[in-house]
Amino acid sequence: MTGLRSTVARLFGRITAEVPGAPAADFTLAPTTAEECARVLDVASEHRISVLPWGGGSHQGIGGRVEPDLLLVTSGLGGSSDDTADLTVTVGAGVTVASLEAALAVRRQTALLPESPGDATVGGVVATGSSGWRRLRYGPTRDRVIEVVLATGDGRVVRGGARLVKNVTGYDLPRLVTGSFGSLGVICSVSLKLLPTPAASAMVQVSDVSSAIGTAYHPLAVLETPAGTVVYLSGTEAEVEAQASALGGTTESGVHWPADPEGSFVVSIRVPPASTSEAVRRLPPACDFVAAHGVGEVRASLNPADLETVASLRSWAEGLGGAVVVMTAPGDHGFDPWGTPPPSVPLQGKIRAAFDPVGVMVPGRMPGDR
Amino acid sequence: MRPAPPPLVGDLVTALGAGAVKAAPLDKRLFSKDAGVTRGEVVAITFPTDAAQVSDVVRIAARHRIPVVVRGAGTGLAGGAVPSQPAVLIVTTRMDTVEVDAANQTAWVGPGVINLDLSRRTAPLGLHFAPDPSSQAACTLGGNVACNSGGPHCLAEGSTVNHILALEFVDAAGEVVVVGGAAPDPIGLDVRGVVVGSEGTLGVVTRILVRLTRNPPAVKTMLMAFPEVSGAAATVSEVIASGILPAALEMMDRPMLRAVENFVHAGLPVESAAALLAEVSGHPAGVIAEVDSIAEIGRRHGATEVRIAADEPERALLWKARKSAFGAIAQIAPDYYLHDTVIPRPRLVEALEGIYEIAERNDLLIMNVVHAGDGNLHPQIVYDGSVAGQLELVKHAAEEIVEMSIRLGGTLSGEHGIGLEKRDLMPLVFSPVDLDAQARLREAFDPEHLFNPGAMLPAGSRCFDYGRPVPDGVWA
Repeated sequence: MTGLRSTVARLFGRITAEVPGAPAADFTLAPTTAEECARVLDVASEHRISVLPWGGGSHQGIGGRVEPDLLLVTSGLGGSSDDTADLTVTVGAGVTVASLEAALAVRRQTALLPESPGDATVGGVVATGSSGWRRLRYGPTRDRVIEVVLATGDGRVVRGGARLVKNVTGYDLPRLVTGSFGSLGVICSVSLKLLPTPAASAMVQVSDVSSAIGTAYHPLAVLETPAGTVVYLSGTEAEVEAQASALGGTTESGVHWPADPEGSFVVSIRVPPASTSEAVRRLPPACDFVAAHGVGEVRASLNPADLETVASLRSWAEGLGGAVVVMTAPGDHGFDPWGTPPPSVPLQGKIRAAFDPVGVMVPGRMPGDR
Repeated sequence: MRPAPPPLVGDLVTALGAGAVKAAPLDKRLFSKDAGVTRGEVVAITFPTDAAQVSDVVRIAARHRIPVVVRGAGTGLAGGAVPSQPAVLIVTTRMDTVEVDAANQTAWVGPGVINLDLSRRTAPLGLHFAPDPSSQAACTLGGNVACNSGGPHCLAEGSTVNHILALEFVDAAGEVVVVGGAAPDPIGLDVRGVVVGSEGTLGVVTRILVRLTRNPPAVKTMLMAFPEVSGAAATVSEVIASGILPAALEMMDRPMLRAVENFVHAGLPVESAAALLAEVSGHPAGVIAEVDSIAEIGRRHGATEVRIAADEPERALLWKARKSAFGAIAQIAPDYYLHDTVIPRPRLVEALEGIYEIAERNDLLIMNVVHAGDGNLHPQIVYDGSVAGQLELVKHAAEEIVEMSIRLGGTLSGEHGIGLEKRDLMPLVFSPVDLDAQARLREAFDPEHLFNPGAMLPAGSRCFDYGRPVPDGVWA
């Protein structure tokens, strides 16, 4: 390793200091361009050293633990296009979601990325396929990733898609990369579709979820927490007002989003949308949760010592074709992070090999890896 | 004595029955082309009814080393269902089951189900399938999946891929694979997302889980006439930027308006340089406010006429005008070449001026309908194929339009696909390394190029060799 260390130091200059929260690695590098990223990955593939891309670290609790030889920090992959008149933006993977959304908000635009992003980076949100609550109205993040520049596991710079809102030219690499958890390579930059910020928005407290879903047309979200259920509305002033009065609950203008459930063991229960209420009913008493009605996701904070509850939730969700995915767990927690792997795992392995033939990217992270 | 059928056909007949295999010369000719301008050679045409029969066809074709090309209704325009070399055709039309899950607003459908039939079937539930290509009365959902089809209403609702939750397909080994699901964010790589739009090159889709969309409680459709194309284009830009997301925002230019008016008599503004057809849908209160805003923006950019459809028959007439654009052309010339490129929306005026310049220089009539809201151009080049050299001239002009679109920051196709038609133009938008990556992706699914070989990726795409020996067991 000493020889490799001196090679890496000679090729890439500094070997960055430790990153808070990141697992120990032999090398920590922060490339600043896609080409530099690719050169690092070329060396990694040549020497068969495992790689973990690291953005803000906020979603690293998802999936199997990776014990990387090399931590590839994306903070140097910055930059963002200034011209967003076509309601698209090209942005470096290391840019934080908060700073991108703040810059867009000045232009009354949004990328509809997760509403409470913490330190999350754009690259991290795309890599983990994370969506905000507004997906009920606007669809998941993957529907808005229109272009990707990927440094593949074996050190190629590959571009897929284009900075255009409609495009069927070639295979949809942006979609394949979204939610790939670094298993194909390092996302260096993406182009995203944007939306103008609606003129008005409001929150309406409702008591009957199913009648609220039937009454509200295209709400932003219908979120249930232990405090109750709230319908989030947006649109023109007239529409928001009319929809709020049709729903008939206590209305507050503007929106503020619930915080993600906190705790040492947080899971995402994913079921067909009509089973969302049933998922809530199956939660243990007094647990913190946010349920996205109409979407089919419930994020819940569970007792890490009570594996029986989570196992029974998983078996129920998988029976419906869904999943229970661990978002955060204590370091030594034994619960399987993904559950039953999908039947297409052999094909997924071949797809990964097309981008990362040696298998250096995030070994252990994806479903079926362990 | 009748000649013995070739062994391939015999094998297919044994597996599927005589009623599901055609190989007569007339059949082979009928199925040798789609709605575009390319033609290929078909060895046999099969009509399987489910994944097991598709698997039989795939295995038989593989054994005989003959490629497999999949075809729905044959309405594609890019040659995606046209064999580039002699092939067995799988026609999906007998795979036409529909199972609706009203509670989850989804349906499992066969690839042979016709787009409009699905929406008609789910209408009593207040639901529809959002992508609505102009060919929706004929095209199949399998074809929509293969091409990631669009349509006017994709502006607000997104293309086909946004409405596909899961797929069942037969892979190159003849195995049945299911990817995706009704629950959000299925775990693992999004294989579903890459099979959609893969033009039959990765597998044969045998069942599709579609997301159905609630019918909007209110819809308003309006037509605005402009003396200058630039006024219409500026209106498009400002509407999009204003925060209104119309359900559809379509543009027709003067040559197209005249052709269509002759055909449907909808009272179109034939003296105008361009007309915009805008539709807003949603909550009634929002729809009224948005129609007012769009009309105000249009007038500010010089609209001379703003006509809001008073009732459903008038709305239907306006849409008939838009969706007849292709039929109307038959009155003008025997043939037309319907093009499909995309540009960034702020470059719309430049793009149309570029098309007019290309038309004039090549002495061709080009008429335009544009999915203006998402920058998707559909120039239609009318010609007479019986005149020697005309088709070549048309193809030359079409390539010039592609090159111009790319110069403006655009790309080859927004919704028709690449197929055989634009395959050799792929290097205009992708580097050799990009194309190599796409070729590797294809080989991960289909190492022997059994499915639709020659479509989508130009020959020689797989030209880079970064190959390192893969240690045993890494991906086992």
